[in-house]
Amino acid sequence: MLKKTTIDKLPELAAALMEKGTLVAPIKEDAGFNFREITDTKQVDLIFHNTIISPKSAFFPQVEDFVQYQTGKSILEAAPVELNLKPTFLFGVRPCDVKSFQIMDIHFSGTGVVDPYWQKRREATIIFGFAFDMNEVADAAEFYHTLGIGAADPEGSDIFMVRKDDILMLKVITPKGEKLMTGLSFLIDASADEIKYFDDYIAKGHDYKTRYTCVDTEAIAREFEAIFDNADFWTKISDACLSCGVCTFVCPTCYCFDICDETLFSQGTRRRVWDACMFTDFTLEASGHNPRTKVYQRLRQKVCHKYSYHIRKYGVISCVGCGRCTRYCPVNIDIFSIVEEAVKAKWYKRL
Amino acid sequence: MTISFKQIEEKLKTEAKRLLESGQVSVVLAYGKGYDEKHPMPYVARNPSDVANIVFNEYCNYNMARYLVRYPAGTKIAVAVKAADSRAVIQLIQEEKVKREDLVLLGIPVYGMKNPKTQEIIDGKTTGGLYNPVLYDILLGDEVHGQAIQLPYDVLAAYESMDKEVRFAFWKKEFDKCIRCYACRKACPMCYCDPCFIDQNKPKWGDKSPKFHGNLMYHLTRFHHLAGRCIDCGECSRACPVDIPLYLFHKKVARECEEMFGQAAGMSIEDKPALVNFRVDDSDKILE
Ligand code: SF4
Ligand code: SF4
Ligand code: SF4
Ligand code: SF4
Repeated sequence: MLKKTTIDKLPELAAALMEKGTLVAPIKEDAGFNFREITDTKQVDLIFHNTIISPKSAFFPQVEDFVQYQTGKSILEAAPVELNLKPTFLFGVRPCDVKSFQIMDIHFSGTGVVDPYWQKRREATIIFGFAFDMNEVADAAEFYHTLGIGAADPEGSDIFMVRKDDILMLKVITPKGEKLMTGLSFLIDASADEIKYFDDYIAKGHDYKTRYTCVDTEAIAREFEAIFDNADFWTKISDACLSCGVCTFVCPTCYCFDICDETLFSQGTRRRVWDACMFTDFTLEASGHNPRTKVYQRLRQKVCHKYSYHIRKYGVISCVGCGRCTRYCPVNIDIFSIVEEAVKAKWYKRL
Repeated sequence: MTISFKQIEEKLKTEAKRLLESGQVSVVLAYGKGYDEKHPMPYVARNPSDVANIVFNEYCNYNMARYLVRYPAGTKIAVAVKAADSRAVIQLIQEEKVKREDLVLLGIPVYGMKNPKTQEIIDGKTTGGLYNPVLYDILLGDEVHGQAIQLPYDVLAAYESMDKEVRFAFWKKEFDKCIRCYACRKACPMCYCDPCFIDQNKPKWGDKSPKFHGNLMYHLTRFHHLAGRCIDCGECSRACPVDIPLYLFHKKVARECEEMFGQAAGMSIEDKPALVNFRVDDSDKILE
């Protein structure tokens, strides 16, 4: 089922979705785009490349409240914070980011230990994937093509969208998506030409080139293991690194968090907050010992987690090549170049 | 006059090579190739052969003074410094974090530097109205003279015209965008505390979550820890992934400090940091 509407009618679509639940979509902010809960239908803006913060925050928000309590009172009076989710529509997610949800599922539910917050948010959400605009050149930082992700892969989305000038085409991918789409009566059927355009567009998605290099996960994992103790290599790689939290916070596949008690006067909340392996105190132990005191040890952890340990443990690279870490790194540290350099001899083959 | 970035790059390479070959320094902090032309990186040359990787272009904004404290005391370091960066070195010398005799300053007189994200020329905003390094051992080009300057506090006009409520609302809106990635403090040459107050949990000074109270605590404290120390390089604001104009607050505090104590940060190695130096004739304005 391929339906369509026009870009100028987006507010109408937004209004229909907001009537059914919560709409989370890209909006333009001072520094760029971000996914936000929509309060005004005119905010939704699909003329964007990608957002600063990845859409992981729809399922794994930077702050998630768990328990509320009063200091000095009995623990029996503490109350868990209930998640009362309305159906949520995550609108306009790029294919590489959709792919990241599957990688994150491994950690939040796939290992058997289910994170109820992630799980509930995942279940409540319908994903509207959105193909990249292939008429525009790929951002210099991106490399999702290297990781086998096309610019227009509908896999993982419930509904997939392609924009052709001012026409927005929407195709049902899953039964969940179908149920929703049948209720959106103002969408009109696409013409035969448009159906062809849509199908061709998706097929072309893998010809569209971001930075590309050949990847053999086994070779990568092996090479990173071989250079783990090569302090010179890692020192050079991290000479510029500030050890800040930008790369991990914008990344769709970083999932580290901290649980803290935060109180204001006597009102306390136990909440989960994003943490980052690049922070100095991330590995600080209660004894005062810190196994990672050097910047290179932290950057090595970040890179090897994604490109080595993750392969060994779960068989897949924990990176989707969205390029955010590179794009927003204040000193332009580029994970693609690091991987390329680390395993150059074995698998580097530029097409 | 126009700046030849290529020429500066050549001189930077020549001097770096000479210093490393002679063994005068073991490390040269400069700029190197990034993943494309627009995105050069801070670069550390340790061997004469590393020098080939050095670049200099209008996007080399990094304040290399930021990396000085990373090396063990006594390491002989050559560091490339533009005007503001040289002030950071001076301030670090005043604060006894580095020693003058351990450093070779490769001064870069330059204007027309650009922010790669916005393509905006950053001169007026963040070089404190200076194009020539304040302190250097070797100058890698002719001093800049006659180039129009925007004074460091000119950009404050709109900000200073806001009254208290409007200003608070302004910062509230800006801080609401903050994701607490700490790129601002990590990019700052003067933020060298380890641990930073905001990372301490005994006592805990501020919340970790990016909500109003914690953000306010983090930023206001950091702004004030930079009082009389911020040398106006603008790195904090450029590092910020959500473009919070931190420089406005820093400049405002810098201006007040300058008016009260008659000295700007990092202008002379003979100065003492304004806030640790007691003089009988100090302004009492701070107590009013
Ligand atoms: S790689 Fe870049 S973004 Fe990540 S911690 Fe280092 S400086 Fe920050
Ligand atoms: S590591 Fe970088 S490129 Fe890979 S998913 Fe994370 S932000 Fe995207
Ligand atoms: S506060 Fe900002 S402008 Fe001031 S010295 Fe630090 S990074 Fe530079
Ligand atoms: S760099 Fe920006 S977002 Fe990050 S902590 Fe500083 S002000 Fe907040």
